[in-house]
Amino acid sequence: MLPFYLLFLVSILAGFVGAMSGMGGGIILIPALTLMGIDIKHAIAVSILSVIATSSGSASAYVRDHITNLKVGMFLEMFTIVGALAGAAITLVSSQRPLYIAFGSVLLGSWLALLLAGHETWHAGRQDAFTRWLELEGSYPDYAVGSEIHYKARRAYFGAPAMFGAGMIAGLLGIGAGAVKVLIHDLIMGLPPKVSTTTSNLIIGVTALAGTSVYLAAGLIDPGLAAPVILGVVLGAFLGTRLLVRLTNKAVRRFFLFVLLVLATEMVFRGLRGL
Amino acid sequence: MDSGETTVPSPKERAEQQQWDMDLLVGYILLGGVLLSMALVAAGLIWRWAATGNIGFDYRLAGMNLFELAVHDIRLSLDGAFRPRLLITSGIIVLMLTPYFRVAASVVYFAGVLKNWKYTAFTGFVLIVLTYSLFLR
Repeated sequence: MLPFYLLFLVSILAGFVGAMSGMGGGIILIPALTLMGIDIKHAIAVSILSVIATSSGSASAYVRDHITNLKVGMFLEMFTIVGALAGAAITLVSSQRPLYIAFGSVLLGSWLALLLAGHETWHAGRQDAFTRWLELEGSYPDYAVGSEIHYKARRAYFGAPAMFGAGMIAGLLGIGAGAVKVLIHDLIMGLPPKVSTTTSNLIIGVTALAGTSVYLAAGLIDPGLAAPVILGVVLGAFLGTRLLVRLTNKAVRRFFLFVLLVLATEMVFRGLRGL
Repeated sequence: MDSGETTVPSPKERAEQQQWDMDLLVGYILLGGVLLSMALVAAGLIWRWAATGNIGFDYRLAGMNLFELAVHDIRLSLDGAFRPRLLITSGIIVLMLTPYFRVAASVVYFAGVLKNWKYTAFTGFVLIVLTYSLFLR
């Protein structure tokens, strides 16, 4: 068994970065745990459990600050949870190397898409009838600008099936898949970056619960491992959340891009090399 | 006809206010659930450390769903076998139930307060799928 303090420290870091970027802690946690010698399926299982904690902990602050859009979150959750159940079921029967490669590829894909999209700033777009019927719009206080930002989401008919895919990745790899969800919010549905990261955080919680229930039933959740991990992750997420509300969109994005690239390369490499 | 200077909120303002109240309800359920869960896990670890001088431990669960785990825990504590690891599994159970309760509360809020049947149906669907997943074996 690994030293408690080591697991705890790594988890604090994972939670911090996860909350800052809206990705959830899993993206750092799983590579770190596997590097420490933990089997990837156990790492995925404990990670997705910790993702419930990160997501709920930081989402609670965003929701109370009225930044999160509850309707966007609750509409899209219908698709992510079904995807998560399917994804977790696939992981149970999969071998290890494809999981590493899939993990790295998802990170790399998110990094690329975000890099290409990174130059355009958010602007209000026209809303279609379906998205209007879904009541997907709102406003939030932006402390960096010092005013209330109004927005209307669009293209929910593309966002929904894409979210099924995001949920599947979450369940499959034990991550919040916040990077993918943020991407769908930003690029397809046209949400402002802060609404998109915070709403992604809300969705991640229930999506992770669906995945966790599959891993729990399969006996992959170790309470001895879970205890230091979830405590650390929540502590880190708490610190990261406090920082995000005060940062500009640009700073969040730049940091997010850097972390994604490093981890993506590392995981793909390990999968190809045979761990 | 109102004079226009009345302090009674317009339907739009009231809807906005209720939406904000829902933000608070959801926010506090999430916060409360996570805090309680973390407190249980931390208490379990501290108890373990105080009793044995060792904070980490190796303990695995046989595959069971959330409700079986909860029943198992309750039975153990009724038998007087109250141990640190029981606190930790309780923390895990509370953590898993946190988003579940958030969704359940949303269904009730959309139906009872906002009377928004569209979103009652959406959140209801989420609740049903989650309930199913928690009974998986």
